[in-house]
Amino acid sequence: MIPPTVAAPPRFTVSRRRLRLLGLTADDGIRWFFGGNALIAVIVLTLITLFLFREGAGFFGQNRSNLEIYRRAGLEYVDFIRAQTDDHTALTRYLSDLRVRWMTWLLEQERHSLEEANARLEDFDRFADRFAGAVDPLRELMSGLADHASGIKAKYQLTQDRRVEQAQLAAAGRTAEAAGIEISAIDFERELEPLRESLPTYRQLSRDLAGELTALLAEAPAPPTPALRQRMDRFAELTREYVAGFPAVEHRLETWDSAQPVPAHRAFTSFLFGRQWLTASSWQDWYGIVPLFVGSLLVAALALLLAVPLGVGAAIYVSQLASSREQRLIKPCIEFISAIPSVVLGFFGIVILGETLRQLSQVSWLSWLPGFPYSERLNILTAGSLLALVAVPTIFTLAEDALNNVPRGFKEASLALGASQLQTVLKIIVPASLSGIVSAVLLGFGRVIGETMIVLLCAGNRIEIPDFTRGVAVVTEPVHTMTGIIAQEMGEVVRDSIHYRALFMVGLVLFLLALVINYAAQKIMRRYRLSTG
Amino acid sequence: MVIADPPLMDSSAPELAGTPPPPAPAERSVVAQIEHLDFFYGTTQALKDVTLDLESRKVTAFIGPSGCGKSTLLRCLNRMNDLIEGARVAGGTVRIHGTNIYDRTVDVIEVRKRVGMVFQKSNPFPKSIYENITYGLRLHGRRDKSRLDAIVEQALRGAALWDEVKDRLHQSGLGLSGGQQQRLCIARAIAVEPEIILMDEPCSALDPVATAKIEELIQELRARFTIVIVTHNMQQAARVSDRTAFFYLGSLVEYADTRDIFTNPAKPQTEAYVSGRFG
Repeated sequence: MIPPTVAAPPRFTVSRRRLRLLGLTADDGIRWFFGGNALIAVIVLTLITLFLFREGAGFFGQNRSNLEIYRRAGLEYVDFIRAQTDDHTALTRYLSDLRVRWMTWLLEQERHSLEEANARLEDFDRFADRFAGAVDPLRELMSGLADHASGIKAKYQLTQDRRVEQAQLAAAGRTAEAAGIEISAIDFERELEPLRESLPTYRQLSRDLAGELTALLAEAPAPPTPALRQRMDRFAELTREYVAGFPAVEHRLETWDSAQPVPAHRAFTSFLFGRQWLTASSWQDWYGIVPLFVGSLLVAALALLLAVPLGVGAAIYVSQLASSREQRLIKPCIEFISAIPSVVLGFFGIVILGETLRQLSQVSWLSWLPGFPYSERLNILTAGSLLALVAVPTIFTLAEDALNNVPRGFKEASLALGASQLQTVLKIIVPASLSGIVSAVLLGFGRVIGETMIVLLCAGNRIEIPDFTRGVAVVTEPVHTMTGIIAQEMGEVVRDSIHYRALFMVGLVLFLLALVINYAAQKIMRRYRLSTG
Repeated sequence: MVIADPPLMDSSAPELAGTPPPPAPAERSVVAQIEHLDFFYGTTQALKDVTLDLESRKVTAFIGPSGCGKSTLLRCLNRMNDLIEGARVAGGTVRIHGTNIYDRTVDVIEVRKRVGMVFQKSNPFPKSIYENITYGLRLHGRRDKSRLDAIVEQALRGAALWDEVKDRLHQSGLGLSGGQQQRLCIARAIAVEPEIILMDEPCSALDPVATAKIEELIQELRARFTIVIVTHNMQQAARVSDRTAFFYLGSLVEYADTRDIFTNPAKPQTEAYVSGRFG
C-alpha cells in the first residue's frame, strides 16, 4: 500500500527543548545521582583506610618511647632478675604437681589414709620447702630493685606531665604561669646507681642459689614408682638446666646499658610478635598482638571446622539432591540464621550452650575426649560452635550459588553415561564448582574473624596464649580476640594514648586480614568463572 | 496413523533384558518398542499415544516442528526426563529388548549405560580428554590402565577424533573447537559400548564443515550402534537416516523409510512439512 502523498523524511534536529537545571538535563542528573552513589562507596572506603592508618601510625612512636623508658628507668634490668625468679617458680610448680601425683598414688594404689600419706611425704615436703625457699633472698633483692625502678619511672612520668602542662599553658598565652612550673631533668645514670651497685650482691646471691639448688638435688628423695621417678629425674634435669643459665643472666646484667637506644624496629616487632597484652599495669604495659591473634585464629578455625561440612553439605543437598519442596523449606531456614542478632546468639551461648557443653564434658563416659572434663564455661569451644552458626549461612549461600552455576549439561552428560546422582555430584559437580566453594569458605572465614559480639561474650576473654602442648584440648581454654579487645577496651581508653593507638593497630590488622581474604576469594572466584566458561 | 512396518514384536519379545534380540527377518530386527506412550509435563500432554519401533543398526530420525515432542520422546528412551520435576509417563510402555524401562524393578542406571546420549550443546566435562572418555568406564568399575588406554584410542578413532587429539589427551576437553567437542562427546558415549545412541540435535550449534564431519561419523557408527537422531534440519534427516518419524503436536503422524517420507509421504501434513510449507 503506497501512501497517497510522499512525506518529506523527518530530520534529525532537536525539536523539543529539554528542561535544564544548573545546566544539566534530567538524564544527566540521574547519571550523576547513580555515579555519585558509587563514588561515595569508594570515598568511604578510602577514608576508613586513611583514618585507620592515621590513628594507628602514631602507635609505633609511642611504643618506642614506652620501650625506651622501660630501659632507661631500669625496669628492663629488674626484669632480667625477675625472669630468673619466675623460672624458679615454674620449677616449684613442677614439684607440687609431682607431689599431687605421689599423693594420688599413695591414696589410691597403696590405700593409705590421708594422715599416713602426708607422713610418708614428709621428706619430700621438707625438700620442696627448702627448694622453694632457696630463691627468697634473690627475690627480696629483686623486689627492692623493682620498687626503685618504679620510682624512677614515676618521677619521669611526673616530669613528662609537667612538660605537657607547661606546653599547654604556654600555648594558652599564660607564659608567667608556664615559667613557674618547675621541671627538674632526671639524671638517669645517677638514679640507676643503686641498681648497678647491687650487682655484686646479686652475684653472691645467684651463686648461693646455684650452690644450694645443686646441693639440694643430691639429697632429693627418691619416689617409689618408675613413673614418679622419671618425673623426678626430669625435674633434676630441668633444675640443672636452670642453674646452667645463671651465668648468662649475670652476663646480661653486666653488659646492660641503660643509655643504649631502643632500635626502631623493636616498636614494630614488639607489637607483631609480642606475646603479652598487658595494659594499665603499675609496672610496664605491653602491647603484643600474638595472644589476641592466636585467639581469633583458633576460634575462627574451630568455627570453620564445624561450619564448612555443615554449610557445604547443606548446599550440595539443597542444590543437587533436594526436591523443590525441601529447597523451599531448607533455604530460608539457613538464611534466617544470619538474621539472628549476634548478641542474642552470644547470650544463648553463655546461658545455654556454654553450660550444656560444660555439663556434657563432666559426663564420665565422655572423659576420653581431649580436654574433657573442663570447668571454664566460656572458651574456644563455646565461641567456635556459635560462630559456626554465623558462618554457615555465608558458606551455604555462596557454595549453593557456585554449585548452581555448574552448567546443566555436565550433570546431564554424567547421568546419561550411567552415573548415579551421588557419583555425578561428587565427581563432576563438586570438582567443577570447587573454586567457588573455596571462595565461599574464605568469605565465611572473613565473616567469623570479624565477628565481635559472640566472641566477646563467649570466648572467655583471658588474654593469654593458650597452652598448645595440650594438643586438641586447647579448645577448652578461654582466649581473647582482636575484635573482642577493641570492643571491650575502646570505651575506656584515653584518646591519643598509646593504648588507644594500640587498639587502632589491632583494628588495622583486622582490616588488612579481611582485605587479603576478600581479595583471595575474588581471585579464586574469577579463575573459576574462566574454567567453566 | 501409518506404521510402515507391521508389528512383529509381541510374538517374540523376550521378558528379560540382556537376552538376545528376537529372531526376526534379517534386516528388520527391533531393538526398542514404544507402545501407546502418553507423556505429561505437569498437566501439559507432550506425547499422545505414540507407538513406534526402533530397528537395530539403523539410523532413525525424529523430525517435526518445535514443541512436537520429538526431543521428549528421545529422552524417554533413556529416562532423562526423570530429572524434570513433574514429568511423568502416564500410559504405555517403552520396551528395550522386551523390558519395559519404566518398570519399577528396572535400574535407571543400567538403562542409561545401554542407551547413550549426545546433547544439542556439546558438554565435555571440565577434565582432560582422556578423563572425559574414561569417566563412564571408571564409574562402572574399570580400572585397568592399559585396557582403558586401548578403549580411549578405540573410542576416539570411532569418533574420528584420534588423529586430531592423540598428542594432547591430557589437556582439557574444553580447549577443543565446537565440532571437536561434539565428537569428543560422541566418543565418550561410545566408549561405554551402549546399544542405542540418542542424539538430540547434535549439529545445531555447529558450522557446516563440522556438521558434515558428524554426519559422516553417524554413517560409520550405524554399523555398530542403533542411532536415534532428533533434527530440525530436514536435509540432514534425509542424508543420514534410514527411517524417519514425523511428529506433530505430540502425535506421531507418519513413520516410514526415509526415502518414502521425503518422496512419497502418505499424509498431507507430512508432505506439507517436508516440502517446507509449514513448520
